[in-house]
Amino acid sequence: MRDVAVVSFAQSPCEAANRRDDMAGILLPVIREALGAVGVDRDDVDFFASGSHDFFEGRTFAYIESLDAVGAWPPVSESHVEMDAAWAFAEAWSWLQLGEGDIALVYGIGRGSLAADLDQVLPAQLDPYFLAPLRPHRDALAGLQAAAMIDAGLTSERDLAEIVVRSLSAATGNPYAQKSGHLGVDQVLDAPYVSTPLREHDVAPVGDAAAVVVLAAGDAARRLGDRQAWVRGLDHRMDTHYPGVRNLTRSESTRVAAARAAELAGFGASEVDIAELHTEYSHAEPLLASALGLERTVVNPSGGPLAGRPVTATGLVRIGEAARRILDGRAGRALAHATNGPALQHNLVCLMSGEAAA
Amino acid sequence: MREPASEPSVLREPASEPSVLREPASEPSAPTLPEPLTTMASPFRMDYTYVAGTGRSVFLRGLAEGRMLARRCPACAQVYLPPPEFCSRCLSRLDEPFELDGRGVISTFCVVSFPFPGQVHEPPYVVAHIQVEGSGTRLMHLVREVDPADVRIGMEVEPVWAGEDERENSLTSIRHYRPAGDEYA
Ligand SMILES: [Zn+2]
Repeated sequence: MRDVAVVSFAQSPCEAANRRDDMAGILLPVIREALGAVGVDRDDVDFFASGSHDFFEGRTFAYIESLDAVGAWPPVSESHVEMDAAWAFAEAWSWLQLGEGDIALVYGIGRGSLAADLDQVLPAQLDPYFLAPLRPHRDALAGLQAAAMIDAGLTSERDLAEIVVRSLSAATGNPYAQKSGHLGVDQVLDAPYVSTPLREHDVAPVGDAAAVVVLAAGDAARRLGDRQAWVRGLDHRMDTHYPGVRNLTRSESTRVAAARAAELAGFGASEVDIAELHTEYSHAEPLLASALGLERTVVNPSGGPLAGRPVTATGLVRIGEAARRILDGRAGRALAHATNGPALQHNLVCLMSGEAAA
Repeated sequence: MREPASEPSVLREPASEPSVLREPASEPSAPTLPEPLTTMASPFRMDYTYVAGTGRSVFLRGLAEGRMLARRCPACAQVYLPPPEFCSRCLSRLDEPFELDGRGVISTFCVVSFPFPGQVHEPPYVVAHIQVEGSGTRLMHLVREVDPADVRIGMEVEPVWAGEDERENSLTSIRHYRPAGDEYA
């Protein structure tokens, strides 16, 4: 494999509703910051990859507006995924593995605030025959999963409240967080249910933000900074689309993706210092920790998505936050996880290290 | 956003049973295929807020005031009409808006002669790119008050504004373009 590293990461503050900036307006300062930090000019970027979703934008091919933040003149080499931008990161990493170029810029834009009511929109992402006509609430499938986990003795409402308290407390140190604070466990347990057993703070608050990661290969990566977060292993796997077929208390797709990523990396998820997990709900943390085999790892030191979920940028933020802790020397090895689909249907695992492969 | 189609043709059953799936005639107990479902109703309604952004807002607010506002890139001197917030070539923030009178020449056009559902204008009508004097980009609009057969690339045209009380934050505040210059004066 080619040595490929994250050399820079930038993000915009997650806002509950940004009514000032269009897509390019949110993205442009973030792209400038990410490129500026490593002295890379736009003309030096060989490949641009991005992720966003028309469901959240309310129009088709909405992402093309974001090209105004990239500058598509002269024409650029570009690709877009209609999903979380962590999968754009996977594409850029593969593209660099193929030796097509040396520097790639990955951006994610997520605007969860544009739909007047996400419950009008999100059923359209479900199976149109058996699930969408039922119009379950947007958090109903997560409620099924959390209830099954509690019934199986894998977590409890109090455990979940403790995860919320820890996450929101960690987010007080994150200037990009949409929500943060020092709450008590009982305070969290006093909040109303949204979809039992999930309460208000168990559900990640949806917002608007952009994230940008710069990837570079080999000598180009070494030239751009003193430290690099080398992507040592990456894989993503998908479960079947009908949730009733799955055992919701387990994430086989996460387990398999982690095993494959570990095979590539030469170290496993249990050997990382920190893990940033794409937890759209508090119960996802024990479920993912179990599938990944995390033990004493620090989970979501940024506060994680429970402190702000800019929809399709959320997974890329996890990769960026994990990489940032290697770049600034606070971690030697880090794991980033991203998810798409209901009840953790599709999962990506990325293992990074301050040291390139031997 | 997505209205349910009244007749979802893709889900219609074939007019006759597909012959390739028939059992040989010699077998009397041939199993019959299940009757495929042809329609099921599951209508969606989705409401969104669109965020125009600062650049578009400058231009759209100008239209409500009967003004065509262009902006110049300080780095490469390109003049945009309508202007975004950032130059699409060099990504610089564009300079302060300034007004153009909107007159220009047709740089290309087509005549729409095809009727379609939801059509606003009676065909045939002319859709054109107009190179507005003082702008480096082309503005799309309708050209009317002229027989489509007489429209030419290079023809001088001018905007016809909607009445003051009809103007909105929209390009429809310009009703259309029409020939300008001596030959039509
Ligand atoms: Zn320019």
